[in-house]
Amino acid sequence: MDQSPADTRDSAGWTEEVLPTRLTAIRESERKVLACLAALGYGEDHCFAVRLAFEEALINAMKHGNRMDPSRQVRLAYRISPERVEIYVADEGAGFRPDCVPDPTVDENLQRPCGRGVMLMRSYMDEVNYSANGTEVRMVKYRANPVRGFPESGRRC
Amino acid sequence: MKVQVRQEGSCTIVSIQGSADVGASAALRDAFLRAVDVGATRIVCDLSKTDFICSDALGVLITAYLKAHGRGGFVRLANPQKRLRELLATTRLDHLFDVFPDVACALKDA
Repeated sequence: MDQSPADTRDSAGWTEEVLPTRLTAIRESERKVLACLAALGYGEDHCFAVRLAFEEALINAMKHGNRMDPSRQVRLAYRISPERVEIYVADEGAGFRPDCVPDPTVDENLQRPCGRGVMLMRSYMDEVNYSANGTEVRMVKYRANPVRGFPESGRRC
Repeated sequence: MKVQVRQEGSCTIVSIQGSADVGASAALRDAFLRAVDVGATRIVCDLSKTDFICSDALGVLITAYLKAHGRGGFVRLANPQKRLRELLATTRLDHLFDVFPDVACALKDA
């Protein structure tokens, strides 16, 4: 990924936050994102998709990136327009290789309680790109694209 | 999120109302573990009023499944709504869990 949240914060519409590594800190940011989506009239299917990917990205950053180390932080940036939702999440961990994450949908991994975050982000967002070292992820959801598996209901979230 | 646990015959019904998000998965884990700890092995999870499940909460369901299955029991899912059905299909967890249209169906032959 070429741009970090810090590179793009001067662009119109970006909201940036620095979160402590604490899972309960996710909710307030999520609430603000969902409120923004609702204000712009995004449908329930898109809200569900963005919410899921948003949570998964932040859970991964805190649990697997920062290893729940309270001295580490997670940087979050998002920009929501009537046409698309763009989200950056960056952790302070050692990084990882997303292509090396075992496929959680194959039979031998179905009983694993964890390891679905990356797959869910890729399934529910239109673009998911990681930085070279895997510490930062950029995700985009376009309003014009239906959410995988169900056409947009049109109902507001 | 609100979790209600009730007994119906030999089965334990766990009803999840609202969003099983990251902030709620600890409470969900507590509810399932408490049920399993007191001997529940035949568990039906009523998802009719569940509007969201994160991967953390899915992990709780899988852990409960493994514990129940290991003791000869089951965890069945009842009445997941459209987005949760899609989520179960996307994760292929509908191949791990038996999914029923409602709690009554899930209790049949239990």
